[in-house]
Amino acid sequence: MDLSQYAELFLAESREHLSACNQLLLEWERHPASPEPVGGLFRAVHTIKGMAATMGYGRIADLSHRLENLLDHLRRGGTAPTDEIIQLLFRATDALEKAVGLAVAGREREADLAILTDIDRLTLQTKPTPQPSALARHFAEPVEPAEPAEPLDLQRLRAAPAAPAAPAASGASRLVHVLIRPEAPLKGGRATLVIRKMQSLGTIHRIQPAAAAFESDDFDGRFAFELETGAAAADIETAVRSVGDVERVTIGGGTDESQLAPGETGSAGGRGRHIRVDLRRLDTLMDLIGELVTERGRLNELAARWVGQDPEIDEVAIHISRLSADLQNEIIQARMTPVWQVFDRFPRLVRDVARQLDKQVEFRVEGKEIELDRQILDELGDPLVHLLRNAVDHGIEAPAERKRRKKSPEGEIVLAAVRERSSVAISISDDGRGIDRVQILEKAKREGVVGPHVESLSDDQLLRVLARPGFSTAEAVTNVSGRGVGIDVAMTRIRALGGSIEIRTEPGKGTAFVLRLPVTLAIVRALIAAVGHERYALPLTYVAETVEFGTTPLTTMEGKDAIVLRDRVVPLVDLRKLLGTNGGAPAPPPRRPVIVLEMGERRAGIVVDGMLSQQEIVVKGFDAPQGTLPVFSGATIMGDGVPALILDAAGLV
Amino acid sequence: MTDGSLVPVRLLVFRVGTLACAAEVDQVREILPRLPTTRIPGAPPVVAGLVNVRGTLVTVVEGWRALGLPPPPSPPTSALEGTLGSTLILELGAPGGGGRGGEAENGSHKLIGFTVDEVLDMLAAGDHTLEGRQGLPGVDPTLVRAVGRRNGELFIVLDLAALLGPVLTS
Repeated sequence: MDLSQYAELFLAESREHLSACNQLLLEWERHPASPEPVGGLFRAVHTIKGMAATMGYGRIADLSHRLENLLDHLRRGGTAPTDEIIQLLFRATDALEKAVGLAVAGREREADLAILTDIDRLTLQTKPTPQPSALARHFAEPVEPAEPAEPLDLQRLRAAPAAPAAPAASGASRLVHVLIRPEAPLKGGRATLVIRKMQSLGTIHRIQPAAAAFESDDFDGRFAFELETGAAAADIETAVRSVGDVERVTIGGGTDESQLAPGETGSAGGRGRHIRVDLRRLDTLMDLIGELVTERGRLNELAARWVGQDPEIDEVAIHISRLSADLQNEIIQARMTPVWQVFDRFPRLVRDVARQLDKQVEFRVEGKEIELDRQILDELGDPLVHLLRNAVDHGIEAPAERKRRKKSPEGEIVLAAVRERSSVAISISDDGRGIDRVQILEKAKREGVVGPHVESLSDDQLLRVLARPGFSTAEAVTNVSGRGVGIDVAMTRIRALGGSIEIRTEPGKGTAFVLRLPVTLAIVRALIAAVGHERYALPLTYVAETVEFGTTPLTTMEGKDAIVLRDRVVPLVDLRKLLGTNGGAPAPPPRRPVIVLEMGERRAGIVVDGMLSQQEIVVKGFDAPQGTLPVFSGATIMGDGVPALILDAAGLV
Repeated sequence: MTDGSLVPVRLLVFRVGTLACAAEVDQVREILPRLPTTRIPGAPPVVAGLVNVRGTLVTVVEGWRALGLPPPPSPPTSALEGTLGSTLILELGAPGGGGRGGEAENGSHKLIGFTVDEVLDMLAAGDHTLEGRQGLPGVDPTLVRAVGRRNGELFIVLDLAALLGPVLTS
């Protein structure tokens, strides 16, 4: 049987489990006495083992099997793990991740299994010594020594049997479907609890959806699993219901392959409601809807021209417009992805970097559920890695220095996503030393970045200085960050996505970077402005309002024209001048429209010759020739088939 | 890249102003009539602008400017009928590409448009029709890969990478 078509699926699912492993390890490292993480780790590794065996990936199956043995000892031993063990588990997770990647690429042989020696050594060392306790004798079964902070009933249930030798495991295989009440909070937690209870009754196979999905926001409370147990159906049901808020339990008899198949029953584990779709499919759909939107524009123009001849054409055009708008909306929604899909790998990253630099960092993530277009999210990973590394390396001080400054030795870094009007703001803030403006100013002067008479740097200027390619603030270049590449790379990437970066910093208190990104990339609403005979598109994302030149008081700001808008001075940018547009006389001043852009705290009024329309545009990239003004984020094709350039708010404000 | 690599090869011969030029057919994606261009502010004058090739945006270079020729006698005002020349859509590979790097270098192919006054011919050129690189009066020798003859008339085989590459590197 050719399994290659399942390779991608295997990769995706394994990654989910491995990501869960990393989260669990981090949790365990922070709370070594907690009994939960090791159970979760065991299950995740067990699942990977099963999938790898099915796929015929022998080395992965072997690695996960031996890792599972170690985890089993740890689980049954019940003692807090040593640092050596935690570090080994992190390394093993990495090795597994690498092996999975290689296997899917058809190069499983190259997987490095050197870590097996360490795993086996520790497995031997951690072998639990049977200590017959009263409880154990009572149940006549091997028992985990004290597991603190666990309610008794749970402990009793757990004490039984996850051990391979547990008699209960040798029973019939039953298919269990569970539905948690839809209105219940923490459905994922309940599901996890159910699984844990079931482990005390026997061995669990094939949880659907995978246990990692329980933590997902769209987990709807339906799940199913196979339970190999000698327990009676009634006992299983009681155990399941004991977690509370269980709406329905169905316990089947022996299982065969087909019973877990998707869609087999109405309650088949949520499978019928979510499917995995190849990203390329979604990209193609997006491209196609993009073309449809462009053609829709043409159709509308034609309809406007022919409506005199046959009014019906207008009706059709309107109908098609509405349908394509709905379709477009659905496709955009289908591409929206919660940020945790990218954020979830950062706790591990921050921990590793902090460890490497001997710093103590508490890392928090907020707004995990905020959604962004898949493509934006994918592109966001690298800039965020840069900024997070920077925060640990340059932001957070060493524990001794923090103590001297009367701060807690443990620094704090917060990564937060917040939905704004039509954009998403992602901030990375630390409570570290802040950026020394005086030092940067000196350096900027020495390198000729600012004139010799500048006395202080605003946040904005500071960012511009920091973002200069090659400008490094690091006194010594470390291999973590430094070299000054971080911020300019991040900034270029964010700008390319039509977003912006802001910085706020206060000496001794910390630094925050705020990235603002459009929610979706490919199709945006935009104002089409006329400048001379040319047309330019301005995405509405950053348009605050439009006013007319001359209806607002004029003034100057740093020698440039500006208007006063509700007591705030807004500098003007004359597009004719900026873009060097000739031809087409400008409208007389009082009639010239001013488009006010707003990006965080920064504002600018863009003076154009006229406003043509407001419409959806499909954003396309183009290879900008050398010399192109850095104020364009792409181009679009107008209804008449002629391209128009899209102005980048970040380049104008 | 002067000799050897050119033989035998199929060439597209075209006219820019009074100059007969040629490009390797393999590098020509398609031949289109002149398309309405959108000016790109800040780009050098040799860039005519951006065009829409069935949904893909392509930067177009003005042929006579790129070759340093005098401007056409009557500038192509759109009032005239369709014979205002053509736009060649060319595919530029990676510099020194053609290796068997496989997929890794796939992203380096770029499309660029090039305006010409007239497409003349397509011909297979062997050793005997081509002479090694050689200057032709009034043409920058670094843009010439070889010189050939067609019906007794000289034409130059353009080094497209040298001619157009610099326009796109930013």
